[in-house]
Amino acid sequence: MTTRGLRWLARTTVPAVSLAVLAAGSAAQEEEAAIPGVSLGFVYEGERIPPIAIRPFTGGGPASNIASIIATDLDYSDRFYVRDSLPAGVDTEGIQYSLWDQYGVDWLLTGNIDSEDGIAFLDVELHDIVFSSIRSRARFPIPPPGHEGFRLAVHQVSDAVVEWVHGDPGMAASRIVFSMRPFGNPGSKELYVVDSDGEGLRRVTWDDDLAVSPAWSPDGTHIAYTSFKSGLPRIYELNLADGSERTVEGSSGEQQFSPSYHPDGDRIAFWSLEAGGAKGISTYNIREGCCLIRLMGGYHQNIQPSYSRDGSKLAFLSNRLGSQTPQIYVMPGDGGDAELLSPYRYGQGGYFADPDWSPTADMVAFAGGIVDQRVYNQYDIFVRDIEAPDNRIVRLTTEGNNEDPSWAPDGRHLVVAGVRSYGYGVFVVDTATGRTRLLVAGVRAEDTDWSPQLSWQGGGVETGGAGSGAEPGDFR
Amino acid sequence: MSRSRLILAACATMLIAAGCRPDPPPPDPVPTGPTAEELERMRQDSIRAAEEAARRERERMEQEAAAARERAAAAARRTLMEVVYFDYDEATIRPDTEERLRAKLDILRDTPGVRLRMEGHADERGTSEYNFALGNDRAESVIRFLTGFGLDMGRFSSVSYGEERPVAQGSTEDAWAQNRRVEFVITAGGNDLGR
Repeated sequence: MTTRGLRWLARTTVPAVSLAVLAAGSAAQEEEAAIPGVSLGFVYEGERIPPIAIRPFTGGGPASNIASIIATDLDYSDRFYVRDSLPAGVDTEGIQYSLWDQYGVDWLLTGNIDSEDGIAFLDVELHDIVFSSIRSRARFPIPPPGHEGFRLAVHQVSDAVVEWVHGDPGMAASRIVFSMRPFGNPGSKELYVVDSDGEGLRRVTWDDDLAVSPAWSPDGTHIAYTSFKSGLPRIYELNLADGSERTVEGSSGEQQFSPSYHPDGDRIAFWSLEAGGAKGISTYNIREGCCLIRLMGGYHQNIQPSYSRDGSKLAFLSNRLGSQTPQIYVMPGDGGDAELLSPYRYGQGGYFADPDWSPTADMVAFAGGIVDQRVYNQYDIFVRDIEAPDNRIVRLTTEGNNEDPSWAPDGRHLVVAGVRSYGYGVFVVDTATGRTRLLVAGVRAEDTDWSPQLSWQGGGVETGGAGSGAEPGDFR
Repeated sequence: MSRSRLILAACATMLIAAGCRPDPPPPDPVPTGPTAEELERMRQDSIRAAEEAARRERERMEQEAAAARERAAAAARRTLMEVVYFDYDEATIRPDTEERLRAKLDILRDTPGVRLRMEGHADERGTSEYNFALGNDRAESVIRFLTGFGLDMGRFSSVSYGEERPVAQGSTEDAWAQNRRVEFVITAGGNDLGR
């Protein structure tokens, strides 16, 4: 069979998108993964990664800069193998499909910058080399390179390409927020935001106290978090556009932690500790400033709620099985009986925390491990597929320390605060291939949270929308 | 030499020379003594001196008492603020912690105006969010111990700093043991101590 025939076959065979597990790579790994019911592996089984070429964009100005941002995005998407050295004498006008086919790529992206009334537009075309046709084309407004929205606008083009080919949302036009001690003020923690490609790291709070556990609102315009700036930990909702704040009502002396947005964007779930000892998980309508409801209380700690994508369920952490064995549970979004989700077995121990629900599937990522109390800083990332009938749990990481997993809007990548042999950092792990990318080097970050898809024109993008006029279509 | 003696001496010289009779000695000066006013003044002066001495003595004793109270207050404050420690991932009261809490209990019973804030802390092991819960468990455990002896719940408040405010740096057993603690802050009634 020709290589083209192989590529055609790969394209027409739908990759398994259920939770599947690769056979453990080595005996050592097998031993390491010795948690009953937990396998070492990846969330998606060996999906073929199609090669793509990006022809130099035409039109001058920022064209080459834009093409290079897109090339990096498509590489980071882990959904393309980006061919970075192009064959000599590539066509600049028209497409010679046979030439690109010989070069061995499935896809070719071309682009042209066109200025109209001082506004630049990027016309991109995605060519399907296997079928010798244009798969999709669209026109995107791009602000000038000095504009704060420039890189985000380009990232939106990258996400459109991912969606055209794979039908799934991308994650290039998104950001990650985390908590970190600022230089020169080691007694405090502030919130920082960084782009999905590691660019544009910036500080967003100046509380001069502990600012922790941030969460993006579903429309990407707000960040809710816990700050100690009043002397007690309370939840604030920061409006990223104008810096204004909302608070959650609470009794005096109440401590509030770890907000998680309901997908409606109005309600948040959080956990609190009241003076006098009452504690538990509550919900509050932060848009209306009303409707405080206690979902779960009791003697044990019930903390760190995380809403499922439709808001019908909440994952959370509880130490009801013993103080040294916190576990992950799931309960209905409006309260009710909780079911154990993490791999607990009596007498085995285990420490599991930081649950985060996927925005695209019924999957929960969490951190932890069967750790001896003397072992410090050796947590791994686990993923549990709620729908999978066999209760199997996948362990994604095998080295260093990994905490605070948060799903990307593509439902495929996780951002993790961690440690490797070379130091602290913020890492991005691809749940399909295990590929790990260092997002921010050398920072002791915590409470990482990945935003929804964002738009440079402000706010977030509805999942599925991929930029102006970006309709996948057959232009044969 | 008195004047009379001088006269006698002069006369003696003249007697030898001219046989003169000595003048009668001048009458002794009338002993005038202190007047009534002077006596009264002296009496008043002595009263004042005695009063002054008594006042000084009183002040000295007051100062000593105040210093003693100050020392007692400082000791009470030290006892109240003495940090208590916990085992790994536990909020249960250890024997050494109980001893320190009982010492606080005695002071708190004597000074009902004193209010405390319990600040719970955890070591760096475990996730930061879990450690906020653990730090608060420790603070609440201390409050439960004290209110279990009949102290009013309203005198106590709590805050958890989790693993965010270590007193000892480093990833050693010793540093961890020092960081698993509850600290005490006097939020009201501190002036009642030592009375």
